[in-house]
Amino acid sequence: MLRIERATKKFGGLIAVDAVDLELRPGEILAVIGPNGAGKSTLLNLLSGLYRPDSGAIRLGDLEITRLSPEARCHLGLGRAFQIVQPFPEMTVRENLLVGALYGKPSTPRPEAERRVDEVLALTGLAPRADQAAAELTLVEDKRLELARALATNPRILLLDEVMAGLRPAEGAAAVDLVKRIRDSGVSVLFIEHVMPVVRRLADRVIVMDYGKVIAEGGYADVAADPKVREAYLGKTA
Amino acid sequence: MRTVFFILALAVVLPAIPIGVWREFVLDAAQFAFITTALALSWNIMAATGQLSLAHGAFFGLGAYAAALAVNAAVPTPLALLFGAGVAAISSLLLGIATFRLHGIYFAIATLAFSEVMRTLVNKAQFVGATFGYPVPAAFGGAGGILTAYYLSVALLVLATLVSLALQRSRLHYAFAATRQGEAVARVLGVPAVRMKLIALLISSSLAGLAGGVYGMKTLFLLPPDAFGVHRAIEALVIPIFGGLYTTAGPLAGGLILVSLENVLRLWVGEGYLVGYGVVLVVAILFMPRGITGVIARARRRRKEAPGAED
Amino acid sequence: MELLLQTIINGVLAAGIYALVASGLALAVGVVGIINFAHGEFLMVGAFASYVLFIALGLDPVVSLAFGALALYLVGAATFHGLIRPVLAAPELNQMLLTFGIAVILQNVALLVFGGDTRVIYPPYQGTPIAIGPLSFGVVPLVAFALSAALLALLYLFLYRTRLGFAVRAVAQNKIAPGLLSIETSRIYLLAFGLSAALAGVAGVMLSVMLYASPHVGFLFTLKAFAIIVMAGLGNITGVLWSALILALAEAFVATYVPGGGGWVEAVFFLVIFIALVWRSWRAA
Repeated sequence: MLRIERATKKFGGLIAVDAVDLELRPGEILAVIGPNGAGKSTLLNLLSGLYRPDSGAIRLGDLEITRLSPEARCHLGLGRAFQIVQPFPEMTVRENLLVGALYGKPSTPRPEAERRVDEVLALTGLAPRADQAAAELTLVEDKRLELARALATNPRILLLDEVMAGLRPAEGAAAVDLVKRIRDSGVSVLFIEHVMPVVRRLADRVIVMDYGKVIAEGGYADVAADPKVREAYLGKTA
Repeated sequence: MRTVFFILALAVVLPAIPIGVWREFVLDAAQFAFITTALALSWNIMAATGQLSLAHGAFFGLGAYAAALAVNAAVPTPLALLFGAGVAAISSLLLGIATFRLHGIYFAIATLAFSEVMRTLVNKAQFVGATFGYPVPAAFGGAGGILTAYYLSVALLVLATLVSLALQRSRLHYAFAATRQGEAVARVLGVPAVRMKLIALLISSSLAGLAGGVYGMKTLFLLPPDAFGVHRAIEALVIPIFGGLYTTAGPLAGGLILVSLENVLRLWVGEGYLVGYGVVLVVAILFMPRGITGVIARARRRRKEAPGAED
Repeated sequence: MELLLQTIINGVLAAGIYALVASGLALAVGVVGIINFAHGEFLMVGAFASYVLFIALGLDPVVSLAFGALALYLVGAATFHGLIRPVLAAPELNQMLLTFGIAVILQNVALLVFGGDTRVIYPPYQGTPIAIGPLSFGVVPLVAFALSAALLALLYLFLYRTRLGFAVRAVAQNKIAPGLLSIETSRIYLLAFGLSAALAGVAGVMLSVMLYASPHVGFLFTLKAFAIIVMAGLGNITGVLWSALILALAEAFVATYVPGGGGWVEAVFFLVIFIALVWRSWRAA
């Protein structure tokens, strides 16, 4: 459904993403893992349109979206949550969601947007904090807000960037449940993650990146056993 | 909201208030206050998208000169004013397209450079009197005397206020605020940030140009350093910051207070009165960056949270 | 031909002061990371200091140079410590507006105290040009150029050959979260900002002799300094020298060859700022 075809992105002399082929299938939860600096966040930026690839293409279904702006991709159903959460600080939680609900799809009437906001507030458990200033949230609530903001745009595809980082196990479990429920409601999910237990519980398929390339692909167990993957994370043993 | 209504109502009924010998002076000063406040409201609209403009002096000046040109060519007043606004809008469009990849301070400096280039061009333009100045006929050919001019400036203020309020109540408010508070995130949420910035720019510059046109018809004589001077840009931004950025009541209240202070300072001290604006700006940034409305809002919140508060 | 050479000489000599002022601003922008709209006003203060000392004490501007440098260093340090440090963690908009407010205050206080007229100094050595063949070099511009060159060389030595200078460069390259100021970084910021003001002050003293002292001169130099560092590219110190030279030459040529040149000269700078900023933004995309 969402495909990257041989996409490459360079920053000066650094090749962040190197001829990567990747596909997100409808209804699946796909994990992208890899050591720091492997190019995962760059990949997400390419998918959401904040960067343009130097070569290669990105397709959504039959549509080529390589040249489309981030907002256009959002209108087509691509939602994205950032790793470093930056809520709109001068707005309440509800207003933060309203932005996405109003603009995520062209010409959404106000009542419908408000309803969507209420839905998402309930789904993510943020309803009690709806009228609080977004700047006053705890870390956990921040992460929920980030996810909720992307959900408010009614996406068909959700790109998540390390939403589990910094969460305690109980919070992590709740987050995993949330993502599963989101998938069950018809959204395909691609997520970047470092916390392996989460990856194991959540991912249908795993892709491993290192130095900008895809080095392994498959179920969690297969990938975990792959010597190339071990090497990437742990380095060559003598 | 009550503040807004109160101020506008006051403006409308001012000529009817018996102030004796001061009447002419007050009505005169009030017109300048309304024009400057309208300019400040226009700046505020653009600031809402995070674009810090130092070009509002240019929009004001272009509007003033364009409207003056039209009136001198026997174009009726309302059309001339629209023409002024249009010229300002077109110039802003060119500016916006050139600079839309600039952000923050670099954008501000680029707008300042633009403004100064405009001023120099007008300084050299013989067909509008260059440095010698350009005479402007009064609005509506002077019909109705002082009250016509007065109510023209009131109309300007009301228009600027209504535009500001309308934007705040529309969904554009959210798009503007999101663009300002996090452009990349806003785009990923579907907000067409660049288009929003251009829209804000166009509305803002048109209003500023309109204010300039009214100004020309009030002063009856235009000089480049007066119409284009950087003091316009200073007033345009200090007023909203002092009054409360991104609100409507803020620039309104701030404008009336500051311009009144300015008039007093000008009488007292002459050239160099702008120092007052400088001090207000520095104090505001250091101690009340959210302006007067911010201070009031904080006081209200504290009262609500205080133990033993009713309601 | 002579006119051409003379124009070039005028440009080169003027470039000295421009480079001095621009280097000061480059320090403030590059090290502290603050767009200092008040930079030109520090120059203006230096010019008036020189004027006042000359009128009141008969102090030769050459002596005022040292005084101007010291005084403006203190002014810069005080401004930084009292007004700028509190907003370093605030959004860029606030910082910019703060320095803008400081500029407005300084300029208008000068207007209030001295009035709008330009004040000129006539030291004894001023009027006598040195003639080499058909070309003439004003003594004052020549000395100013030499002094500027010497000061810039000293600045370079400081930045590249001393431990403290190394620390300054390190801070410039490695700006950590602005809110987390260690004591060391805070001190470096203070030094850099004070130095920045001192450079402007010295240039101001020179300007008071070469041209005049006036409340309006600050704003103009702020913009010119910005034009220079924007064209050089931020963080590029040697680029500032070239950039100052090019702009000063452009100014000299416009003044000589364009009819009615005086009014267009400023527009040259502003146009350069605009084009440089816009061009860089499009290229970076």
